[in-house]
Amino acid sequence: MLKVDNINVFYGPIHTLRDISIEVGAGEIVALIGANGAGKTTTLRTISGLLRSKTGSITFMGQDISHTPPHKLVSRGIAHVPEGRHIFLQMTVQENLEMGAYTDAAYTKEGLEDVYRRFPRLMHRKNQIAGTLSGGEQQMLAIGRALMSRPKLMMLDEPSMGLSPILVQQVFDIIKEMHAAGTTILLVEQNAEMALEIADRAYVLESGVIKLSGAGSELAQSDEIKKAYLGG
Amino acid sequence: MTFISNLINGISLGSVYAIIALGYTMVYGIAKMLNFAHGDVIMVGAYMAFCAMSYLSLPPIAAILLAMAVCTVLGIVIEALAYKPLRKASSLAVLITAIGVSYLLQNIALLIWGSAPKSFNSVVGFDSISLFDGRLIITSETVVTVIACIVIMLGLTLFTKKTKIGKGMRAVSEDKDAAELMGINVNVTISVTFAIGSALAAIAGVLLCSAYPTLMPTTGSMPGIKAFTAAVFGGIGSIPGAMLGGILLGLIEIFSKAYISTALSDAIVFAVLIVVLLVRPTGILGKKIAEKV
Repeated sequence: MLKVDNINVFYGPIHTLRDISIEVGAGEIVALIGANGAGKTTTLRTISGLLRSKTGSITFMGQDISHTPPHKLVSRGIAHVPEGRHIFLQMTVQENLEMGAYTDAAYTKEGLEDVYRRFPRLMHRKNQIAGTLSGGEQQMLAIGRALMSRPKLMMLDEPSMGLSPILVQQVFDIIKEMHAAGTTILLVEQNAEMALEIADRAYVLESGVIKLSGAGSELAQSDEIKKAYLGG
Repeated sequence: MTFISNLINGISLGSVYAIIALGYTMVYGIAKMLNFAHGDVIMVGAYMAFCAMSYLSLPPIAAILLAMAVCTVLGIVIEALAYKPLRKASSLAVLITAIGVSYLLQNIALLIWGSAPKSFNSVVGFDSISLFDGRLIITSETVVTVIACIVIMLGLTLFTKKTKIGKGMRAVSEDKDAAELMGINVNVTISVTFAIGSALAAIAGVLLCSAYPTLMPTTGSMPGIKAFTAAVFGGIGSIPGAMLGGILLGLIEIFSKAYISTALSDAIVFAVLIVVLLVRPTGILGKKIAEKV
């Protein structure tokens, strides 16, 4: 479904991604794990077109999207829940969700029903300014907003960041639910243990290079991973 | 009675500032830049209306619509040619470019229309309103200006709250990257903002010159700077703020002229701005700026 082939990304003079190639098959959950600053977020931002690679190509469902502007990717079927959520803090909960269906406004009504069914708490707060929500609610809103575009591929960047263990479990349950409903998932996480638990496959990034890749369960057993990321 | 008369004049002048300030504030909110050429778009709008009425003998409404259309196109063209290439440049480069565009417009106007002031015929057709046996006269320009200002303010508020493009504009003004990830075309949104701001500038130009009928290539610059002050005063980026800032500025200016000194009125206006910014750096209705790391 998504094929990232040999990309190199620079922030000014800093070479942040080196020859990264990853693949996500339709219906998979693929995790991208690694320490802070390894290049996980940069990878997602490059796929979304917010950053550009100097080399290689990115193809989505057989079409080259390396030069497609980010706002055109939504209607192609890619949704990106950015790191730090980036909801519109001064708009209401419902307005945030409406923005999610910006390219498919006819779906707004149905989409709102769907999101409110999944996240009843958002329905109770639909006219509230998003900035007044708790961290967990904001994450639900960010995910709900992405669902409003009915994505084929959902990219989530650190969805568990800053959340309590119960909320983290909830977020992972939602991811499993979306996946069961047929959405392909590309998940960036620092919480390697939980990410590997639900991932079909995973890539381990370190200083902008892919160090390891393989089935999620396999990586979870690997000594190197245990030592570096799983605290054992 | 003089007091009430001054009050009404202040609100009228303030309404013009408010309409201009809306253009500044919207462009700042969306593109995070100060479009210092905005004042000169007012002047172009006024010249367009002047030409339409004097040379083409068009009725005032048609002249205003023509001026709005020309300014809308002008706004979009300025943005596309001068500002868009600088989207990733430092804000200083953009600011200097805006000042450059301002002088460019003034000098083009000088080439076309010369430096001699044109006498602008009011676009308002009906008579002044006389109250209390003629002791209080409200000019027809004042009535039209205040009504126009209220209509524009309500219209813009509804537009940004209720329409899809308007909500998209608010999304862009808050977080460009996130808006882009929602599928909102940020460049188009910025163009639309310039178009709306410039159309409003045309209206402001016509109203301003109807009340103060001397039209010169520099006509727009002082009202432009005052309206910018009004936008900062009310809280730049905020639509009600621009409105409030504009009206307050108009009142301060007229009352200073009436009760303190005509020569000092501008100095007083800017002194008040400095005091407000010392007490409330984000302006009266300004949002608290949360610095993100």
